[in-house]
Amino acid sequence: MTLTKDEQQSLLHLLLDMGELMYCSGSEVKRVENTLSLMGKAYSAVETSVLVITASIVVTMKFEDGNVVTETRRIQKAGSNKLWRLERLNALSRRCCNNPISLDELHVEIKKCKEPINKEMFYIGSAITAGAFAVFFGGAWCDFLVAAVFALLICVMQKTLSHITPNNIIFNIVCSFVVGVLISFSAKLIPILNVDAIISGDIMLLIPGAAFTNAFRDLIVGDTISGVMRLIECVLWAIGLGIGFMLSIWLVGGIAI
Amino acid sequence: MITKEFIIQLISATVGTFGFGMIFGLKLKYLITVTFGGFLSCGIYLSGMYLLDGNIFFATLLAGAFAALYSEISARIMKAPSTLFFVTTIISLVPGRALYYTCSSAVLRDWAGCKSNANITLQYALAIAAGACIIWAIMLTIENVKKLKK
Repeated sequence: MTLTKDEQQSLLHLLLDMGELMYCSGSEVKRVENTLSLMGKAYSAVETSVLVITASIVVTMKFEDGNVVTETRRIQKAGSNKLWRLERLNALSRRCCNNPISLDELHVEIKKCKEPINKEMFYIGSAITAGAFAVFFGGAWCDFLVAAVFALLICVMQKTLSHITPNNIIFNIVCSFVVGVLISFSAKLIPILNVDAIISGDIMLLIPGAAFTNAFRDLIVGDTISGVMRLIECVLWAIGLGIGFMLSIWLVGGIAI
Repeated sequence: MITKEFIIQLISATVGTFGFGMIFGLKLKYLITVTFGGFLSCGIYLSGMYLLDGNIFFATLLAGAFAALYSEISARIMKAPSTLFFVTTIISLVPGRALYYTCSSAVLRDWAGCKSNANITLQYALAIAAGACIIWAIMLTIENVKKLKK
């Protein structure tokens, strides 16, 4: 595939879109770098140099005609857990590396990868997870139900509030505070509920497990800066969670009911 | 060893892993794979806790290492990112309860309880990381050896 200079520039832009989307969908740094390098090679770049650090991506590509293009992308969003997007993007890159599609098609395909999954799946999944872990942490069946209901509230907050709060730390504080207060109040109304188990189950939805995993993965493959930045982010998010729940317990008057 | 509590925990962790996979919008084939992985890793963790006399660090390390290996193998067979499998398979080892008790002890000014629960939270987190890192290091080395042979 031979590309004109304009096409080379648009390819670079598309690759950055892809890299940004992968990173924001819960990919580790190395995977983004490898994918973009392979994509560059598939689209006839002689050399592709990719640098991904937590807040930015830099790609430089050299083509057969000697033209060199470079672009930097600042990543504003924090990494999320939209693993379905990562799976789609991974499949797309595999397809393109085997058989490169036209740039217009690539643009459309990347857009398709952004499409969200069923909301119902997200809500039901969250309810099942929180309920099951409430039982795992020593709750009874009624705790399963209550944890599941509050999981739905967390989902609604994730869908709405996370866009308004300035960052994930504040979101975690607000979300865990609201959920903590409501759970503690419902336990006052229904004394048979096990507050510890319900809150522990609901915490599972907010703990930054994927980011924590990626942080260690980045560290072990040698992407130290990204790994350390992510690790600090995770710790701050977890502290946010802790602060929110602590405030709620303190406000409602302790867990001993 | 197989008590009622063991079975309840194993079942609830498996159901929880399935739900977690749904949150991530995984396709059915991946969902089944991670649920089975979650079942196995939780089984290893619970058995480890029993056999190692409640040694959280080593039981979690074993289960974490298993989950990482399971995810790497599944990822290679199913040609999908291993993150997809690992993040979900590992969920039952995530210290939700310990983190909560750390906070609640602090509010109740039970500093000894707060300290010991913070310690437990860290043990879980570090053990998952250590277990997974051992497997990743081995897998990366094998990959490099394969590349050299080519």
